[in-house]
Amino acid sequence: MTDAAISERKETGESGPREDFLVLDSVSQHFDLGTGFFGRGSRGVIKAVDNVSLSIRQGEILGLVGESGCGKTTLSRTIMQIIRPTSGRIFLEGKELSSLSDREVRHERINFQMIFQDPYASLNPRMTVFDALAEAIRTRHPGVRGTALRERVVELLRLVGLSPAQMKKYPHEFSGGQRQRVAIARALAPEPKLIIADEPVSALDVSIQSQILNLLKKLRRDMGLTMIFISHDLSVVRYIADRIAVMYLGRIVELGDAETVVDDPLHIYTRALMSAIPQPDPRIERSRKRVILKGDPPSPLNPPTGCSFWPRSPIPHDERMKVVEPELVEFHPGHFAHDCPFCLQRAA
Amino acid sequence: MALLHVQDLKTYFFMRGGVVRAVDGVSFEVERGQTVGIVGESGSGKSVSCYSILRLIDEPGRIVGGSVMFDGEDLLQATNSRMREIRGGRISMIFQDPMTSLNPFLRISTQMVETLRLHTDLDQRAALHKAIAALEEVGIAEASKRIHSYPHEFSGGMRQRVMIASALLTEPDLLIADEPTTALDVTIQAQVLDLLKQRQERLGTAIILVTHDLGVVAGTCERVNVMYAGRDVESGTADQIFYDPHHAYTQALQKAIPSLQTKGDLLYTVPGMPPDLSKPVQGCAFYPRCPYPKLAPPDGPPPELVVLTEGHCAQDCQYCDRSKPIEDVLTSDVTEAFE
Repeated sequence: MTDAAISERKETGESGPREDFLVLDSVSQHFDLGTGFFGRGSRGVIKAVDNVSLSIRQGEILGLVGESGCGKTTLSRTIMQIIRPTSGRIFLEGKELSSLSDREVRHERINFQMIFQDPYASLNPRMTVFDALAEAIRTRHPGVRGTALRERVVELLRLVGLSPAQMKKYPHEFSGGQRQRVAIARALAPEPKLIIADEPVSALDVSIQSQILNLLKKLRRDMGLTMIFISHDLSVVRYIADRIAVMYLGRIVELGDAETVVDDPLHIYTRALMSAIPQPDPRIERSRKRVILKGDPPSPLNPPTGCSFWPRSPIPHDERMKVVEPELVEFHPGHFAHDCPFCLQRAA
Repeated sequence: MALLHVQDLKTYFFMRGGVVRAVDGVSFEVERGQTVGIVGESGSGKSVSCYSILRLIDEPGRIVGGSVMFDGEDLLQATNSRMREIRGGRISMIFQDPMTSLNPFLRISTQMVETLRLHTDLDQRAALHKAIAALEEVGIAEASKRIHSYPHEFSGGMRQRVMIASALLTEPDLLIADEPTTALDVTIQAQVLDLLKQRQERLGTAIILVTHDLGVVAGTCERVNVMYAGRDVESGTADQIFYDPHHAYTQALQKAIPSLQTKGDLLYTVPGMPPDLSKPVQGCAFYPRCPYPKLAPPDGPPPELVVLTEGHCAQDCQYCDRSKPIEDVLTSDVTEAFE
């Protein structure tokens, strides 16, 4: 994307939706494993999320990518205050969530809704679609009943492309794709400010995936939804997200415009992730060179010091970068990456 | 002659509610050293076809027809003891989740040595030696120590490496890999696919790769079989399938998946969902979802597979008007198709 296009985006952003809709300020989520037998020695601390700062615009879809265990899901649970952050502050529309009491947080939580990978696990098997949606609507509007409630349920079903005739059915009577539509409708019912979609299409068949991706994109366009879209699949994220944050071992190693991050990545980890995605095109596949990473992601318990990527990087790091923790630096307007000279090297 | 020749294979499941035709007339060939991909959605019959090759179908399932010629021998007619020799000996199989095929109570060494003792005449020491060498070849550090670990002590990617090493221990002629990388992260998937290719080049093993991921197929397979609702709808070389797809399902599927190159607003969608196989399919199984304009009700027999060009076959469907390119008939509609 050109600089002009970026600044144009910024301008429209300033005049319309607010830039600082959701703000994360050095958020960390550490899990202390406690002390050993007879209180001797610490068993260590898992740094699931470590010093993450981020802001999300109203009406934006932020893609969160990374391997399993990188902290994507923990970060989203921290944002929703399901687990309170160990340190750092979280603001929604200027209101600090991290300082609220548990009671106030519960009240605030209807502003967040989640869509999970397995809709079967997140829908109550004994509730009809109508009951599930009605319950969700009443969390926001406790007084609604009768025809008004029915109309609202019908509207929600239409919104997600289901027939109102299906509202008396139970979750098991639907196919996987339809069930995910029901889960989306239920997430929309309390009119949330932010939707967190955690791998919403990973469990679906390829021909069904595009139906759900299009639906989410259309809902965003029509309703101005703000969404965090978590996935391990960069091609899906690239399609749906406006910006992409790449996470590795609890930290954001690269952040920027979706197109820029995919077409012109700065960090070698992003490049490795990208080159690992098999492309449905035999000619591209035959000619491409892969950045094959060594080994598995290290355990977040006792993570490597310094640039956390050095044990797996194909480019050897010097002693300094194995100790000094790199900062997230803005290299181009809106395009951030961990400032490690070895990870940013082009020739790999 | 081809190493494996599957001809008109039919595997049905006789359920209380009716007969599910999970595999209904599948044919394909695998040459020595070749990688053949079987793609399709869940329930299209790709895994059941593979299990049928090894006769691993349990009640209420039954192989009701066809033949599986493996190196001149019909496996469907072979005795049970002959099948036990072949399974794990000349044909090996690896699965999506290695945890379900490794015994959690036994050390890796016990499991690998057992395979070797069963299929070769190596003694205990020589077998252990060979197992350690096999682990080293799949990139497991300190193999002589790690071989005495239990499966849970390995990470997901490592476990899949152990599976590959065990499956290739007897240097089989054919390896059936059922979604071998689906449960893995993309970076680990790349490592594992790389490893499979390397081992294949060294041992000359033929591979049947079952997957739903067209990207994986494009990178690894020479030939591709596309399955839908228990039948082959198209088969050909990777290039024929990707650059000159003939069947509406193959075409629509490729348009519907996002790739890193995908630009534009909305993806094309394939409306509806796969058919219920417990009901008999009239004519073309893809008919209800086919984006092409309909010409006639699908009340005849299923479309015949016809040869289009050398090595490229597809179902020749006469129920829809296929004169326009697929892009002109596909939509980005997000509403469900209602019956």
